[in-house]
Amino acid sequence: MIKLLRQGPKYLFLGIFAIFSIFPLYFMLVSATNSSKDVLDSRLLPGGELFANFAKLTGAQNLWGAMWASFIVAVGITVLALIVCSVAGYGFEVFHSKGKDRLMAVLLLAMMIPFAATMVPLFQLFSRVGLVNSLVAVIIPAISTPFLILLFRQASRGFPHEIIEAARIDGLSELSIFARIYVPTMRSTFAAAAVITFMTAWNNFLWPKVILVNNAFQTMPMLISNLSAGYVTDYGVLMLAVLLASLPTMVIFLILQRAFAQGITGAIK
Amino acid sequence: MRSISKRTIATLAVLLPLSLALGACSGGGDNTGDAGSGGGDDNTLTVWTWDPTFNIYAMEEAEKIYQKDHPDFTLDIVETPWEDLQTKLTTLAQSGQTGELPDIFLMQNNAFQKNGINYPELFSPIAADAVDFSEFPSAVTAYSTIDGTNYGVPFDAGTAVTALRTDVLEQAGYTVADFTDITWDDFIAKGKEVLAKTGKPLLSGQAGSSDLIMMMLQSAGASLFDDDGKPTITDNATLEAAINVYTQLVKDGILVEVNSWDEYIGTLVNGTAAATVNGIWIIGSIQSAADQSGKWAITNLPKLDGVSGATNYSANGGSSWAISANANVDLATDFLASTFAGSTELYDTILPKSGAVANWIPAGESTVYQEPSEFFGGQKIFADVVAFGADVPSNNTGAYYYEGRDAVSAALTQIIGGADTASALAEAQANVEFAMQ
Amino acid sequence: MTLSVTRSGRNRKEQPLSASVNGPRPWLTGERRRSLTGWGFLLPAALLILVFSFIPMIQALFLSLQTGRGAGLKFADPLWTNYARLMQDETFKLTLQNTFIYLIIQVPVMLILALVLANLLNDRNLRFKGIWRTAIFLPCAVSLVAYSLVFRTLFAADGFVNDMLSGLGIIDAPVNWLGDPGTARFVIILGLLWRWTGYNMVFFLAALQNIDYSSIEAAKVDGANAWQTFWRVTVPQLKPMILLTAIMSTNGTLQMFDESWALTRGGPGYMTMSMSHYLYEVSFLKNPNFGYAAAISYVILILVAVLAFIQLKVGDKRD
Repeated sequence: MIKLLRQGPKYLFLGIFAIFSIFPLYFMLVSATNSSKDVLDSRLLPGGELFANFAKLTGAQNLWGAMWASFIVAVGITVLALIVCSVAGYGFEVFHSKGKDRLMAVLLLAMMIPFAATMVPLFQLFSRVGLVNSLVAVIIPAISTPFLILLFRQASRGFPHEIIEAARIDGLSELSIFARIYVPTMRSTFAAAAVITFMTAWNNFLWPKVILVNNAFQTMPMLISNLSAGYVTDYGVLMLAVLLASLPTMVIFLILQRAFAQGITGAIK
Repeated sequence: MRSISKRTIATLAVLLPLSLALGACSGGGDNTGDAGSGGGDDNTLTVWTWDPTFNIYAMEEAEKIYQKDHPDFTLDIVETPWEDLQTKLTTLAQSGQTGELPDIFLMQNNAFQKNGINYPELFSPIAADAVDFSEFPSAVTAYSTIDGTNYGVPFDAGTAVTALRTDVLEQAGYTVADFTDITWDDFIAKGKEVLAKTGKPLLSGQAGSSDLIMMMLQSAGASLFDDDGKPTITDNATLEAAINVYTQLVKDGILVEVNSWDEYIGTLVNGTAAATVNGIWIIGSIQSAADQSGKWAITNLPKLDGVSGATNYSANGGSSWAISANANVDLATDFLASTFAGSTELYDTILPKSGAVANWIPAGESTVYQEPSEFFGGQKIFADVVAFGADVPSNNTGAYYYEGRDAVSAALTQIIGGADTASALAEAQANVEFAMQ
Repeated sequence: MTLSVTRSGRNRKEQPLSASVNGPRPWLTGERRRSLTGWGFLLPAALLILVFSFIPMIQALFLSLQTGRGAGLKFADPLWTNYARLMQDETFKLTLQNTFIYLIIQVPVMLILALVLANLLNDRNLRFKGIWRTAIFLPCAVSLVAYSLVFRTLFAADGFVNDMLSGLGIIDAPVNWLGDPGTARFVIILGLLWRWTGYNMVFFLAALQNIDYSSIEAAKVDGANAWQTFWRVTVPQLKPMILLTAIMSTNGTLQMFDESWALTRGGPGYMTMSMSHYLYEVSFLKNPNFGYAAAISYVILILVAVLAFIQLKVGDKRD
């Protein structure tokens, strides 16, 4: 009984924060089922317009095309980024040297410049090799980010080197050590990185919009931008589109969350 | 063994998205086959524009009309929001990649000077003998005219109107006629009556938005820039008059300020405001409130008192079709000339469905424009708007138009907050001059 | 010589194991080979960043030394004209001030919140963990357009927040959230907190998985309460991750664009505009001045770099 009381503040705090987080999403969900007028009225109860809104949405926009394009881009970036950056982060930490530290600092510089400033030179780069309007061009610049490398480097700090030494003595190659020992152990970091990378890739707006100049492909954020660009905006349809756009990231999170929140003890052993 | 299957999975995980992406790359290649390159299909034009119910719909109808005489003609319309379109144009021009431009793109009238002056490489001039520009109000063609050459075919009218709730006016004992051809002082006086008797403000607007001020300015033929492109924010009697009217409206509670565009639309759709002054395109949003059908009417704007050259007519927004530097110029010019600058049938078709009011003067003479609108209580709004459009004074936008607008918006926010008008405007002028360095 | 197999490969003396056993060392010793392999691990990532971030960045540097409108840019005379102009740009100074306000208030609050939440959620005995986790992370999954529209609607003059606050009797008149600079900035900070706390919580949760639970148990055995355990045992082991999130959040907030653009459009006046938003305006919305925009971006870069450097120096301790 006393234990429950002591737990009380914890649950209260969590509860308040959870409501704070969820409430705007609830509003979004409800708005997707309401007419535009009701959304502007801040109506908080669900309405009956869900199917009508959906019909308007698919009628006005290429919903499935955009979903598919976003999906390819996000999955492509996530898989490639996880591979390239985890290997790099591991390399920075396990093969640590002062030189590598300096390189890390230099690479970090790359993420400190606002994208709007490097966008035009980057566009020029891709147009010179004829990759404008391709999904490849959307994916490639996003694969290697200093952030993800840093994440894996920091996460590797806690990884005990005795194991690596022991494996070396056993005759394993460095890559095998990485693949067979490091990866399974650092599952939680990989899962977290996967969720974050997917989410960032999925919601990325500026670069896809610029490099997909003729809209040969559209990503979901571009589709949503279309919906608010007219003289008249149907807010119910807009909210529905946004809801649908948010689903994949939520799903990925739901699938992967156990991996980084299992409360695994003695994982390293 | 576990490690082998893991490796296989890992390999697949890499190959699958890569192959999808590469496949998508070539798929994209097919799609871009007829992207605006001048060397594309001789009978296809690519168009970049926004808004399916308005601009895109108009283009689709134009395609049908042109196909009557040119059956092999097709139009590839790519939906691109204006802001994104502007970003793309800038990026393409800055990086020298004008080969990616479409044949035709739509451009906001306010942005024409800025783009035309800074990035002439984006445009192809439109020959004066191909399109008869005298059939458009000169105020509108002025936007897309640079150094005497035309670069745009005007499309949708930003002609400003005062849209009023007739039922609310009735409650206060007024009709639409009481708001026609009046002055702002008169408007303020009547607005106070309406507020007292019905509790509703006549106007609503985004706080810090200078749209209304700009409309007032233009209604008197004044601008933020002079003919040489220098800012005229200080020593601008018309601007000061407009600001005084605005502050009076806010002070008397006749204009209620809201903080975002959606809120503004909300005030109209939910009946909080009893009227609004904006470009005619606002009726699209007004009409989304089906329950208000029959309760609206439109009329012209009040004019500024004590200002020479004041009229009851102005504009806000509007856009024109531009032909890109990468276009199949002959085809594009012929297409635009035959449709948007030459086909009453086109304008007749698009008017009822989309409310797209033409700038093209001959269009206004057709019977469709004489149709009464049920939503607006049987008023022949389109005929009225076309008539208004002919009397709109022109204004100077110039390449620094947005800087000027934003500086005035910021000054307005300060003035509403109590700052002295003269000093706020002086600061705005200084800011614009700084930005023009 | 002594064979020293230390716990970490980091501080080892440069004596390969093989030296005492195999006689004179060949050039490609295990040590060197390993070091080269290490560099090999980094290569793909570093190359990608070099090509797609560094080269554009250097081009931006050259741009920042040029003046002119549109695509007709020439090197300025003197070279630092754009930077000098920045010093006199009142609007830029305002955006600088705004961005720093966001940085100083939002980042510490957010990181502490994320830390506390992650720790709470790491408790084995906590019920409904999945629900809390999902609820707190979900804001990140929502696209910007949505949440800005929702926030604007909620904080409108007749919106839900005002209704609720007056219903509870906390305020007398509706607060003009987005129309007053102070409260508008507050809304942005609230938006940032709402959106990014869950994001950082995810990293802390992952890091907590790798903490040896026995160290926490040992503390409990020694009589420490939850608070002390948290600060003296958990947090020190989380230092690498805290450093990461601190650098990332500082970077993210100093470069913040989305919220300023979508929530308030920088309004009222320019009172909530961030530096990146101003940068975007100068490039794409106003009369394009890419040289000046590049200069703004480099000022942002220098600020972020200085702060990151400080954070690294302070927090990046290897034991």
